[in-house]
Amino acid sequence: MASISPPIHQQRRARLRRVLTDFPLSIGISALLACFISLVTGRFLENMLVSVLIGIVAFTIVYGGRLLLIKRPVWRLREWAMFAALAVLAAPVAHFTGLYTAGLLLGIRTPTLAEYPSADRISMIVFTFLGTTLMVVLIRNRERMRRAQEEQAEAHLRAQIIERQALQAQLRLLQAQIEPHMLFNTLANLQGLIALDPARASDMLDQLIQYLRATLSVSRSETTTLEQEFAAMGAYLGLMGVRMGERLRYRLDLPPALRKARLPTMLLQPLVENAIVHGVEPKIDGGEITISTAIEGDSLVLDVHDTGLGLGQAPARRGGGVGVATSRERLEALYGERASMTLNPAPPQGTLARLTLPLEFDE
Amino acid sequence: MTRALIAEDEPILAATLARTLQGLWPGLDIVATAPNGVVAVEQALALRPDVLFLDIRMPGQSGLEVAEELAERWEGPAPFPRIVFVTAFDDYAVQAFEHAAFDYVLKPVSSARLGKTVERLRGALEARTALVPDALSQLLGQLQALAPRAAPGKRLATIRAAVGNAVRMIPVSDVVYFQAIDKYVNVVTADTEALIRVPLKELLPQLDSAQFRQVSRSTVVNMGCVTSAVRDDLGKVMLTLRGRPEKPRVSPVYAHLFRQM
Repeated sequence: MASISPPIHQQRRARLRRVLTDFPLSIGISALLACFISLVTGRFLENMLVSVLIGIVAFTIVYGGRLLLIKRPVWRLREWAMFAALAVLAAPVAHFTGLYTAGLLLGIRTPTLAEYPSADRISMIVFTFLGTTLMVVLIRNRERMRRAQEEQAEAHLRAQIIERQALQAQLRLLQAQIEPHMLFNTLANLQGLIALDPARASDMLDQLIQYLRATLSVSRSETTTLEQEFAAMGAYLGLMGVRMGERLRYRLDLPPALRKARLPTMLLQPLVENAIVHGVEPKIDGGEITISTAIEGDSLVLDVHDTGLGLGQAPARRGGGVGVATSRERLEALYGERASMTLNPAPPQGTLARLTLPLEFDE
Repeated sequence: MTRALIAEDEPILAATLARTLQGLWPGLDIVATAPNGVVAVEQALALRPDVLFLDIRMPGQSGLEVAEELAERWEGPAPFPRIVFVTAFDDYAVQAFEHAAFDYVLKPVSSARLGKTVERLRGALEARTALVPDALSQLLGQLQALAPRAAPGKRLATIRAAVGNAVRMIPVSDVVYFQAIDKYVNVVTADTEALIRVPLKELLPQLDSAQFRQVSRSTVVNMGCVTSAVRDDLGKVMLTLRGRPEKPRVSPVYAHLFRQM
């Protein structure tokens, strides 16, 4: 199965989006801590500015380190250790830088480096460290949720692909099916002809082989050419012609320019078989089947016209073959709106089945 | 001399069956070969053969329908013919034949298998055992049992019949009988009649089989409306219905429904 991870530029965009959503989180934490400190010391605005600046620096260090160092999406001991190290590093640096920048901006005195090793300063650094840790934990949590969502989406996509493949396999199986009634009746005719007219029996056997080859090889290819499809239908109608005698007349009309036009396998055949089984075969006087094709705009139009019983007139029969509904679903899946299949009464009596497909040629 | 009729729509198969039969049974006279079910019925009634070989899938009427119609229309001194059904591949039909009193052969027909059928036919014709329509009713019953039927929830409750430019709603329980006329069905209640464009064959699976029973090819009656069944001198059974003056005839195939307990 092909990889379903998105291309590089999409990955970059996703990362940027993540930074943009995680950044306000760290600002929020900083603001929260500032409020907390202000409760103890007063001077709210000053604390807020300091805290936010510290937050920005800490976020930049931790997040930058995370993006640079941690490539795996999974969080194990190693990843946690790296984060802890980043937080330990970030706390004093962020604290000092933040405080110093705030001092410059507000014009207030800030403690020099020499003044740092005091209980007051260290406790503030520990405070920063705790804030940074909180930020890491929250970011990690968000990441885990995001990851779970992605996994779910991926699983859904995969399930869809599997379902589609199963459907295709099932379809292929259906396609390769030859109606047993047709096969046994044809064999019975062959058996008879061997005694009555060996030369005709040989011809009929040739046609049966061609029909079987065309029908059974379907499972190995997804598309075919009109030329091949018309040859297979010629063989099928030839078989039916021997069986039904004068009751069946047929005509195949393929313009030379369309010989190499491509179409999916097993779309034309069910229509022709329906024309026989539901149209001409159950009609006492039989009838005529015409298969023709033409170009309309950038579409290929295939017509199967029969002068048989007409829609809904033939007795229902069990099983066998590919139904019209299945063919329609397949067309929809392959081409969407660009293809269609219609079944209409063809006065005075009979049915016109029309298949419209995007016109494509063999290279 | 024994006379036979073959009903088969595929000319080569008809010729082959005739040829094989003549090889196995020189005393057999094949009086006609019918290309479809409708012709088969007419020729069988005209020629009164002793044996019928009926293809099941034929245009016009199936082999089973031919047998059913013949059972209904067969009259006179000639005994009802022996029937052998011929089929290529009809899973469920074959299943029914396994249990039926009828012989059947599968296409392509093997000479050895047909030989056995010929032997059986000769034995039965010599013994002159009458083939009762019961055997046919049994077979049809089995085929009907195997055919798909509508689940109770999907049964028809109301018949919608067009009368002029109105559509009349007729509760199915009010229907006394359904009568097939060509492609139409006449829906008859105690006080009205209306034509619907649904073939009887399609209607039948949608009805409650306990209440509505087929009594001939063209008639389905509401068993609750049958007051009596009378057998005349010729052995034909007629029904008397509550609320209707008509007396529908019961096909011999379905006569067992109206026998005393």
